Amino acid sequence: MQHEFIDPKLVEEFLSFTKNVTEAPKFVPAPDEITLESTPFDVAYEEDKVRLLHFRPLVEKQVKVPLVISYAVINRYHILDIQSKKSWVRKLLEEGINVYMIDWGTPTNMDKYLDFDDYVNSYLDSCVDFVRKESDVDSISLQGYCTGGTLATIYASLHPHKVRNLVATAPVIDGWKDTTVVSNVTKHIDVDKIVDTIGNMPPEFMYYCFSILKPFEQGLEKYYKFFKNINDKDFVDNFLRVEKWLNDTPPIPGELFRQWIKDVYQENLLIQNKMFVGGKQIDLKKITMPLLIQIAVGDHLVSPECSMPLYYAVGSQDKTVRIYPTGHVGMIASAFSQKKVVPEMCEWLKERSK
Amino acid sequence: MSQDAKSPLEYYKHVSLFWTDLLHLMSGKPIALSAVGPMRNYANDLKKVVTETIDSYEHMVEFNQRLAEYYKQLSEAWTDAQKKVDSKVPSIPQDAEHLEAYKRVWIDIFENDFTGLFDSEKFGQNYGKMVSAELELTKHWENILNVILQSMKLPTRKEIDEVYKEMHELRKRVSKLEKKENVKNAA
Repeated sequence: MQHEFIDPKLVEEFLSFTKNVTEAPKFVPAPDEITLESTPFDVAYEEDKVRLLHFRPLVEKQVKVPLVISYAVINRYHILDIQSKKSWVRKLLEEGINVYMIDWGTPTNMDKYLDFDDYVNSYLDSCVDFVRKESDVDSISLQGYCTGGTLATIYASLHPHKVRNLVATAPVIDGWKDTTVVSNVTKHIDVDKIVDTIGNMPPEFMYYCFSILKPFEQGLEKYYKFFKNINDKDFVDNFLRVEKWLNDTPPIPGELFRQWIKDVYQENLLIQNKMFVGGKQIDLKKITMPLLIQIAVGDHLVSPECSMPLYYAVGSQDKTVRIYPTGHVGMIASAFSQKKVVPEMCEWLKERSK
Repeated sequence: MSQDAKSPLEYYKHVSLFWTDLLHLMSGKPIALSAVGPMRNYANDLKKVVTETIDSYEHMVEFNQRLAEYYKQLSEAWTDAQKKVDSKVPSIPQDAEHLEAYKRVWIDIFENDFTGLFDSEKFGQNYGKMVSAELELTKHWENILNVILQSMKLPTRKEIDEVYKEMHELRKRVSKLEKKENVKNAA
């Protein structure tokens, strides 16, 4: 008779894993008990539900041209300040950059008619004007992340005289070239029916889109690693912060969503200079200021092919593309971004802010 | 009877509406005598609710078909991926790292196959149509709710939307005026 033995190492691992799962609540706070805000800021300006956050400087010597960050309309701004060791904002402050960031707030049903015009020509423009006035400068540096990169790009083409430098971090530009599964879903949905029937795009749809991005790596392996590393305080803290951020996305105003899906993903008007915002045609050639595009090769939310065409579409003479071996979130909130991505951006900004 | 009723569903709808309408007409006068004022509306409201419920049937069928196809696609992708994993198992070394290696192979294959599915035309098309059918059902539900809201003299979704739109336009106008004023003051 043949006997089969279970490897003792496996038994040991299984017991240790079970112990971690059982004891997890003893060591780990619930996501609701965590405060995501890390670096101190003041609310410098407010309009409707939008807030302009001004982060308090950490060093005395300041770069002359302030930076306004146009955060994405999906999820919330906290990822750029997720924890002190991986904070995009903190690193910029340490480099002497005067940082403002736009928190788009949480739209309610009342805001369903907000569209690109409101976001670009009203909210973003008011924030930029406020910073120009407060800092006594004619133009500011503007950075946009993800969908915020699209808003920043459109703003720069409509108001080029107010933008001294443009940084587009994983911007959504060419919807037809996007190779992610999200773009496949967005190309097949009847966006008119969605917006006309339910108004704002509910967070649940976004969570669905997230769920089809690497469902097994993100849905199983990630939590396995979490319980395996339950005694590693830094790992757990970072994990819970990112998880909390991932599961906190506000609704997207209906009209903004309608134009977004149609003009950027379905008809791809932006890159063809055929998109209209506030009655004006967006001409990317009008972007003539220095441009830095940051792309992550492993980005499974905005593929590099979707962001890259911006480089060829603008009128800027001074333009740079930086491609990093990381992912969508890794580019902005990781040890790698602290070591490589932010310092390179700071250097680029400082050279162009004298 | 309607001669152009093309399907059993159309026929069923026709028969239901015929009797609802006829009973409504037949009972109109006695109800008008006994039911004073707003009570008269209940008969009308009931007719609207019944019509809406019957109309939703078609979309319910469409939604169920799309949902079944959605689960079928997921299930087929799962089965195919598992077959691939099973065929790889003999090549995974039978040592202490076996479980970890198996997990890695399993995740890689499943990730790859499911991403392939989510990226495919058939998935996108079915998903889009499933969402559309779901939205049609939502519309029917909303229409029924509107009947109830109106009977309670409360504003319907359409009426609230009109207010939201008006407010949005007003906010826009105020914002533009403020900007103009600021430019004027700065000059």
